[in-house]
Amino acid sequence: MRITELRKKVGKTDLYIEDLKIESGMIHGLVGPNGCGKTTLLKLIMGITAPDSGSIDYEGLKPSDVTMMSQRPYLMHASVYDNIVYPLKIRGEKTDEAKINELLERAGILEIRDQYAGSLSSGERQKLSFLRAIVFRPKMILMDETLSNLDSDSEKLFREIVLERHREDGSTWLIVSHQWDEMNELFDKVHHMEKGRIVK
Amino acid sequence: MKIKKLLVLLLSGMMVLSFAACGSSGGGEEEAEAAAAPEEGATLMMATTTSTEDTGLLDYLQPLFKEATGIDLQWTAVGIGEALKMGEDGQVDVVLVHAKSSEEEFVANGFGVERFPVMYNDFVVVGPAAPLEKTDDVAAFFGAVSDQQLPFVSRGDDSGTDKKEKKIWEGLGIDPAANPNYIEAGQGMGATLTMANEKEAYCLTDRGTWLKQSKDSENEYTLDIVCEGGKELLNQYGVIAVNPEKYPEVNNEAANAFIEWITSDEVQKLIGESGVEEYGQALFTPNAGTDN
Amino acid sequence: MGDWLRGVFTNPAVLSAVKVTFEMAFSSTFISAILGVAIGLWLQNHDFTGKKAVVRINRTLMGVPPVVIGLLVYLLTMRGGPLGPLSLLFTVKGMVLAQVLIITPIISGMVFSYAESAVPAIRAFAKTMGADKKQTDRLIISELRNEIYFCIITGFGRAISEVGSVMLVGGNIKGHTRTMTTMISLLKSQGIYSEGIGLGLLLLIMAFILQTLGDYVRKEQIRDENY
Repeated sequence: MRITELRKKVGKTDLYIEDLKIESGMIHGLVGPNGCGKTTLLKLIMGITAPDSGSIDYEGLKPSDVTMMSQRPYLMHASVYDNIVYPLKIRGEKTDEAKINELLERAGILEIRDQYAGSLSSGERQKLSFLRAIVFRPKMILMDETLSNLDSDSEKLFREIVLERHREDGSTWLIVSHQWDEMNELFDKVHHMEKGRIVK
Repeated sequence: MKIKKLLVLLLSGMMVLSFAACGSSGGGEEEAEAAAAPEEGATLMMATTTSTEDTGLLDYLQPLFKEATGIDLQWTAVGIGEALKMGEDGQVDVVLVHAKSSEEEFVANGFGVERFPVMYNDFVVVGPAAPLEKTDDVAAFFGAVSDQQLPFVSRGDDSGTDKKEKKIWEGLGIDPAANPNYIEAGQGMGATLTMANEKEAYCLTDRGTWLKQSKDSENEYTLDIVCEGGKELLNQYGVIAVNPEKYPEVNNEAANAFIEWITSDEVQKLIGESGVEEYGQALFTPNAGTDN
Repeated sequence: MGDWLRGVFTNPAVLSAVKVTFEMAFSSTFISAILGVAIGLWLQNHDFTGKKAVVRINRTLMGVPPVVIGLLVYLLTMRGGPLGPLSLLFTVKGMVLAQVLIITPIISGMVFSYAESAVPAIRAFAKTMGADKKQTDRLIISELRNEIYFCIITGFGRAISEVGSVMLVGGNIKGHTRTMTTMISLLKSQGIYSEGIGLGLLLLIMAFILQTLGDYVRKEQIRDENY
């Protein structure tokens, strides 16, 4: 994926990406202080916001191949299980319940499987959001500090899942983080951002 | 027709422009009581039937009464049942209605002091020119409506006019409801006449309301009088002061002043003249002092 | 008390009024719900010049006195009016027409407000899931279902309690267009209060049930937002 001369002004942040290449099949880190435009960049890639100018070359990637986990994930008014199978349902894919249960078990949220998503704690919400994003095996995954509310054991577990999926699917990951020392072992490549610019 | 279209347009425009500030409200219905702003001095509260208001008689008499006695006449124009009920509950000082037997009962039960006849008007049947020919034979006319199942709109509100109509059917031994085109509007005379005109149906009305409505209304009336003059169609009005022994708070003095005034020769003459100029005929015929 | 109530609720005239009320309220709420939800969601999702004015007009219409709409529909449907040939005046259909004009703006206005605050997040989410346009629309409706129920309940509450336009357009014809509210109005004019009170009680009970339903639906909403 290649981003050229992409410009977007949101509030105080003036985002300008002159030239950024995100090689496919790699795990990229996006690191920088709060308010430097990381989330905006992800939203632009996801197509949630339109740029003021510039372009993104998806290099054959379809919009439905890309997913994004927000910092505050949107939860459907349904059970945890129904939330997780939603992307499979709209793709008309058969849901293998045993497999999904296995996934839930591993993430430690099997016992709340049938609970109403609105009643979850913020850590559980992030786990749900993570599973929902990876369940349909997208080619590119954007993560916006999705694991920030997890305890260190859980975070370690999810890092493992990221690596595993990356190995199995050859998927591309772009992970926003400011606690970069903990996440950095994942990253094949790290992009530093400051005041709306890629600095390194 | 043009006027109606204009009205529709005007209304739509008004809705868009002027109701921003208005809160929502239920259907406003009470409009009767605001006939006169209360003033200093004595006031007389009267319950009466819609016919005396709809014909404009009260608007005509009110300033004259004020001039003669200094008393401010206020009224609420409702159905006959409710008017008498207001008297029974002591809500008003005097009632002016047209249902002789109910009025006598009202006095007999101690709610009213005494009933005085004031005037009468008459009922007419209005309707389309065909298929029935104009007649003064009430029995034949009503019989034909029922036999031929012609559309007929009844007040159906237990008002004096409604009672009159029911009595005519009863006297002829006809069940009007057996006619599938007989409908009960459950509304006042004006609304019922409007409905009859829309439906091109027959309708029993007091002459005064008909004359005023067919002249003043923006509706183009295709109806006309098709039955009049029968003895069954007379409509006697009586006035009764509410009994002060039952309700000491009523203004009996003003009530008596009104009764005396309205039955006086001078005012009786005025009643006999009211409407002549406007409609070409009197709306009411005075008959105070008779035993009607 | 028991006899009185039994007397009121076995009275065929009362039962007929209850039936007409529900026939009218269900039909008008059903039509208004479809129109109102569609208009509300469409407005949220489309930008055009004059949109602000349209929204403001919608808000205004939410508060129009029903009797004004009644008069408008009366003039439209009377014999010489533009819709005269359809013979809608003094029929339940005519009453439904008036009520649809009253209730649709209420539902569309409420749906629009809810959609304004909720839909952007749902759209963004649908995008991350790779939903197409149709799937996104379906998701929006399903995610807003509690809000939509609430709007519809509100509309229905207006429909059963309304008297002004129903009296004008329906004409309060016994057994045909006489509703609970116009019957109360008639009973009052006859000085018969006990049956009026009975009908009033029945309407109050229905309002209470609707309110309870509304509260339940609202609680679901709060539960969703509460994190």
